[in-house]
Amino acid sequence: MSSTGCQHLQAYKAAGGKETFRIIYSYFVACSSADARHKKAQICKCVLCGDYRPRLHACLSCIYFGCYDKKHIHQHSEETKHHLAIDVSYGIIYCFVCGDYVYDSELEELARAQCHRASASLGLKQKFFPWEPSEEELILLRCNPKRRRVTEASHIGLRGLINLGNTCFMNCILQSLAHTPILRDYFMADQHACQATDESQQCLVCEMARLYQEFYSGSRTPYIPYRLLHLVWTNARHLAGYEQQDAHEFLIAALDVLHRHCKEMNGISDSNPHHCNCIIDRIFTGGLQSDVTCKRCNNVSTTIDPIWDISLDLGPGSIHSSHLLPSATAAQTASANNTGANNGSNSSTANSSTGPSSLPFASADITTHSPSTSFTNSPGNYEPTSLVECLKRFTKTEHLGNSAKIKCSKCHSYQESTKQLTMKKLPIVACFHLKRFEHSTGYHKKISTFVSFPEELDMTPFMSSARCSNGFNGQVLRSRIPNFTCDNKYSLFAVVNHFGTIESGHYTCYIRSLKEQWYRCEDHLIKRATAGEVLNSEGYLLFYHKQVLEYD
Amino acid sequence: MSDKLKFPLNGILQERKLKDAQMRATINQKLVETGERERLKELLRARLIECGWRDELKAYCKEIVQQKGLEHITVDDLVSEMTPRGRSLVPDEVKKELLQRIRTFLAQQSNM
Repeated sequence: MSSTGCQHLQAYKAAGGKETFRIIYSYFVACSSADARHKKAQICKCVLCGDYRPRLHACLSCIYFGCYDKKHIHQHSEETKHHLAIDVSYGIIYCFVCGDYVYDSELEELARAQCHRASASLGLKQKFFPWEPSEEELILLRCNPKRRRVTEASHIGLRGLINLGNTCFMNCILQSLAHTPILRDYFMADQHACQATDESQQCLVCEMARLYQEFYSGSRTPYIPYRLLHLVWTNARHLAGYEQQDAHEFLIAALDVLHRHCKEMNGISDSNPHHCNCIIDRIFTGGLQSDVTCKRCNNVSTTIDPIWDISLDLGPGSIHSSHLLPSATAAQTASANNTGANNGSNSSTANSSTGPSSLPFASADITTHSPSTSFTNSPGNYEPTSLVECLKRFTKTEHLGNSAKIKCSKCHSYQESTKQLTMKKLPIVACFHLKRFEHSTGYHKKISTFVSFPEELDMTPFMSSARCSNGFNGQVLRSRIPNFTCDNKYSLFAVVNHFGTIESGHYTCYIRSLKEQWYRCEDHLIKRATAGEVLNSEGYLLFYHKQVLEYD
Repeated sequence: MSDKLKFPLNGILQERKLKDAQMRATINQKLVETGERERLKELLRARLIECGWRDELKAYCKEIVQQKGLEHITVDDLVSEMTPRGRSLVPDEVKKELLQRIRTFLAQQSNM
């Protein structure tokens, strides 16, 4: 099969058929105007039997419509000696002399442009066309004929990381990021074009790109991420030194630095920080909607804040003030005072200083709904034992009590109100942070409760669109949403575990490499693991990846 | 006695068939004219990709091509082999969702 069609198609093209093809295509295959759609609706049916169903073909010489299944188009070709016809549904060309479909790259290009116009005219998403190597890429492929085959037994992409002195908190995050499918694809496809060529040693994004190269180089010795560590130290001062650090804090700091470097190194102007298009934001940023309902006039004020992770409280609800989602509050503060884009670093500060130290947020902007201790709707001594329960609690309506009265923008008085958090926009990668480390009044402890988490997670019930209109009811509606789509479905691909106490301990992680294949990474050691082992572990950070991605 | 009276049921059935066909044609016209057909196609495409239908059929397609050999196979062969399987593998949920969408669309068309 060649890409220049058959000799009959070549003859057709030589006789000026390209324009005819374009017109037929734009009117009967991919309509780009209302007029075309109208014509298609009127005319597109078999001349002989009136059928309009699949496999209807149009003669490329005289626009005669005939169906293929009943051979009416064949009949036409025999009678008129018009040898070429186009399938009206798919736009492929049939040659009656050759007795098969023929393909011509030039006409395909015309067709593609037409499809583009057609989708645009209806406001549809652009059609997906599979990747085809460009000239340049073809040369590269020919120069490098060696191909590695990925089989079940291959260890592609797996590499241990040397512990540089209490750096297991970093290693487990690096492993998780290295095995984030979409981030891996970004780096392996060499998509980061660093603008700061002479300063690329200073760019963490470039360093990550090197890390992927190292992981996929096939080398079996552990990799020493000293340059990466140094870059993090210089860019996130609070993590510098050989002390033990919180893996979650490192994650947020790393994302923040990566995000900053994406912007700086690509020279994108800072003029609109709310609309960042860097790879980190495209993958990790979700939108958290907060609806505050005034108890007096039922006025709802809605704010949407960007978030990089979802921090979930464990322990019983009503005891500590800390459980009122300081990270969410921090995100709000960030967007109120600051630019929404660097909320990550803010929320990390909040997480490391939960409890009483989250009070500064209480005195912040009036639109920031400060945490309060008189949370009356708390589910009592209820301790969530699964991720879904944690999320239910996260999206449950809270009654902001007497001490947290907020000035209502509608009735202009200080009133009690209720607040509900829901997901407005889901990120491609969702990181859940189970708050196992509790720093609250007087004591610090680690919560080692087992919290189960699924391999597949459906976020539909926690979406803003599922929010119950009656805010007092509190429960997010679950049953009414038809379960047709898997738009909001996620699969687990990495879990970070912490062993030990709040003062000292050790981090390891599980990562999913190929489909259904799990590995346990402990610094330089990598071992096969089972999904059961992963699901039974004491998770600290859970990474989920969206199952279906949309093209935009 | 005429055939029509002998088999009145047949006549009614014939008539209904004709009416149904006309109705289908009208609906199709409406769908094409408004662009709704393209939207439905897009939705269907997405759903079939999501549920793995596309991958499964692609794999089956490859299998057939390998079995018969690239040189000896035509699109017609593939179509006749793939169509029954393709039809049977479409999940009921997808069919239901599409039907629902078509119903909603028709309900909005007051002039039909």
